[in-house]
Amino acid sequence: MNERAGTPILNVRSVSKTFGGVVRALDDVSLEVYPNEIVGVVGENGAGKTTLMKILVGVYPPDQGEWAYRGVKVPFPKNPKEAARKGISIVYQEKGVVPSLRVHQFLFLGNEDRYVGRTGLQTDRIKAHAREILKELHVQCDVDDFMHELPLSTQKMVEIAKAILSVRVEQDDENTQSVIILDEPTAPLTIEERKELLDEISGMKENTSFIFVTHIMQEVMECMDRVVVLRDGKLVGHYDMATDQVTEEDLTRVIVGKEILEHQPGAVSATARNAGVVLEAEGLAKKGSYYDISFELHRGECLGLFGPAGSGKSELIRTLAGLDGFDRGTLSIMGKEAKNREPAHIRLSRGVGYFSGDTGNELLHDWSIAKNISILNIAKVIGKIFRIIRFNAEKRMAERIVERLRIRAPNVSTPVSALSGGSKQKVTVGKWFERSPQILLLEDPTIGIDVGSRQDIFATILDMKGRGISMILVSDDSREYSTLCDSIVLMRQGKVQEIISAERLKEVVEA
Amino acid sequence: MNGPAKQKSSFKNAVQAVKNYPVVLIFLGLLAIFSVLYSQQFLSPINLTATLRQFVTLMLFALGPSIVMVLGSMDLSFIGIWMLGSILLWLLSPIIGPVALLVIPILGVATGFIVGVIHTKGRIPSFILTLSLLITYWGLTVVLAGGYPRSIPGYGFITARLVPRVPTPFFLSIPIVLVAVFISLRTRLGVYFSAIGSNEEGARLAGIDVDKYKILAFTISGAFTGVGSVILFKHLGGSAAVEFNLNNVVRPLVAIILGGTPLVGGSGGPHRTILGVLTFAVLYRGLHLSPLRPELIDLVVGLVLIVSIILSSRGTRMRGVDVT
Repeated sequence: MNERAGTPILNVRSVSKTFGGVVRALDDVSLEVYPNEIVGVVGENGAGKTTLMKILVGVYPPDQGEWAYRGVKVPFPKNPKEAARKGISIVYQEKGVVPSLRVHQFLFLGNEDRYVGRTGLQTDRIKAHAREILKELHVQCDVDDFMHELPLSTQKMVEIAKAILSVRVEQDDENTQSVIILDEPTAPLTIEERKELLDEISGMKENTSFIFVTHIMQEVMECMDRVVVLRDGKLVGHYDMATDQVTEEDLTRVIVGKEILEHQPGAVSATARNAGVVLEAEGLAKKGSYYDISFELHRGECLGLFGPAGSGKSELIRTLAGLDGFDRGTLSIMGKEAKNREPAHIRLSRGVGYFSGDTGNELLHDWSIAKNISILNIAKVIGKIFRIIRFNAEKRMAERIVERLRIRAPNVSTPVSALSGGSKQKVTVGKWFERSPQILLLEDPTIGIDVGSRQDIFATILDMKGRGISMILVSDDSREYSTLCDSIVLMRQGKVQEIISAERLKEVVEA
Repeated sequence: MNGPAKQKSSFKNAVQAVKNYPVVLIFLGLLAIFSVLYSQQFLSPINLTATLRQFVTLMLFALGPSIVMVLGSMDLSFIGIWMLGSILLWLLSPIIGPVALLVIPILGVATGFIVGVIHTKGRIPSFILTLSLLITYWGLTVVLAGGYPRSIPGYGFITARLVPRVPTPFFLSIPIVLVAVFISLRTRLGVYFSAIGSNEEGARLAGIDVDKYKILAFTISGAFTGVGSVILFKHLGGSAAVEFNLNNVVRPLVAIILGGTPLVGGSGGPHRTILGVLTFAVLYRGLHLSPLRPELIDLVVGLVLIVSIILSSRGTRMRGVDVT
């Protein structure tokens, strides 16, 4: 472990937390944060990151552990306000913003006490103070802007400003050093916004330290000073990025705790070429989205539609799924011409399944894992004669999926809403695995989830492919293409540029 | 299925059941309170018979709507089907004899189907749609009846006593209720209904023809109301009413929500409604014995509705575990 100068602002030792007497969420984890640094916290979903953060801001009490604030031993906070008094505050991943408020109103939301005069809120003083803070932190917006008008990255910055402000208000000290927890701050952002936000955060280090929870290895490599790795509630790695020589692969291996899956692209493509065509697009066009699209999808082949945002790839896959229509051309599925725009149940009867990494639409959140899987596979759990749902069959089917995809859940009747993001996505993939349509359309199948879950999902998708299921992939992540695809349709501004083999993708991406 | 394991954890199961069905506690509580306060009257055979009568009425009215509510939709047309069906029976009985009884279920199925089609294809909210249909049916009833309630002779077999003190409609309603519970718990229909209520978009993406199952739900609701009304017209006096009684609409809804089917759908259904109806019947009979004036009873019913709506929406937000 590397020693840093000065006293840590935050120093928690040997924190343990058990839920319901069984699940050991955190086991003897220690963490210290010094002034002016960014500490990355990485780990699979369910590794204990969220539990640790919630203990730090006083949402959960720990079973045991010690807390030192600037070298002085203090009790653990019991609520976020007490945590702020100990210099720590959190910016949650989502839903932290009140879109209908103006920036200054949002900044001081819940901290207006100091600005109440005899005639109500002293808006001028609030605005003046808000302007000061925004200037200090280089946030590019006006205090009178509405939150929803701001770009997502600026909204995040305002949230960070609000977190810093809450520490200052609690401690009644304008110059205090605070520790701000950022829970996957870049998750909803585009690549450009991501860079911008990371730059801004790095620039704020002189007055603030950050605990940065993320799944994105690139962020760890680029802007963390130190990184700690959690796995199964234990601290399994601690690296100083300046002195320790760690690569992205090393980190991934420590996070997952096993070797990572390597894919040999093109291995299947030779056989795929000879198998029959399952889907054929000819001259498909949709005004304003894509033009003159023609390609063939063979049995057992995975075809990637690759291109920058605005290339028409998302619109095209939605058209193939029947969700959007096209203006011209023909689309034939399993040798039969498919109609323009079809409800999902008709596409499914043609053998076409579709899912997107956006789990909000795909899952029934208050339902159990078992029900979410059986909803797509109801024919498999219904009795032959009396058409009765056999709960045992349903349970066994779900247990198979849970085991295969390593879904972390107490049992299959756990509601999906209680699962982590990665496990939710695994449930979606699992139900399609069980269904095994002839053609599966995938959109961002592993977006926003941890590396371990990614590996499990990749393995399952490759397994489906091996069994002769054809796929079309659209993604924002070039690694998904290189892991899953056999050939790639390069798209730009709505047109097919070239159809290449997956091996050549790397050259194209680098070019 | 696994006998010994089940027995061992029977206490745990009971605790879990109460957790999932908090209305059981309310039911037992009310039962205890009224038994102590009005021990003489409350447990008297007359009152128990009256409670059963109340149970049958509410149950048969609430059955269909409780299936629709699982989808997150609302079916208020049941009173309309009952009123219009009764008057059609009065019109047709002298002409075609007892076969005329079939007219009520046919009306129910047709109504449900039409409501379903308009609701899905016209994208019209089911609440306002079925409310306007209810008013229309009422108006039609009054016109057909010539403005007076009409007594329908015959059909005494529906209410002919089989067992002393137990109203026969109670026995008749048992198989009907069981069929509804079976549909909602053990068939593809039931699963799809609550899937649609839970996340309509998700259900659509899972390849469920949402419109078709919505229409089916309304049709089934209409069918249950129709079959129920065959019993109810006799059970409620054997005549075709022309007066619209808001209580008939509200009380079954209170019972459904009290039973734990949330207004937004996604869970619950007829099996929960049984408990809700039972609880409401006990509450109502107990209040009836109390010195409260009738209008105060209505006030209490209103409060119960408010509280159970709050509880049910809280439950779906916080728990959201129970799927059946």
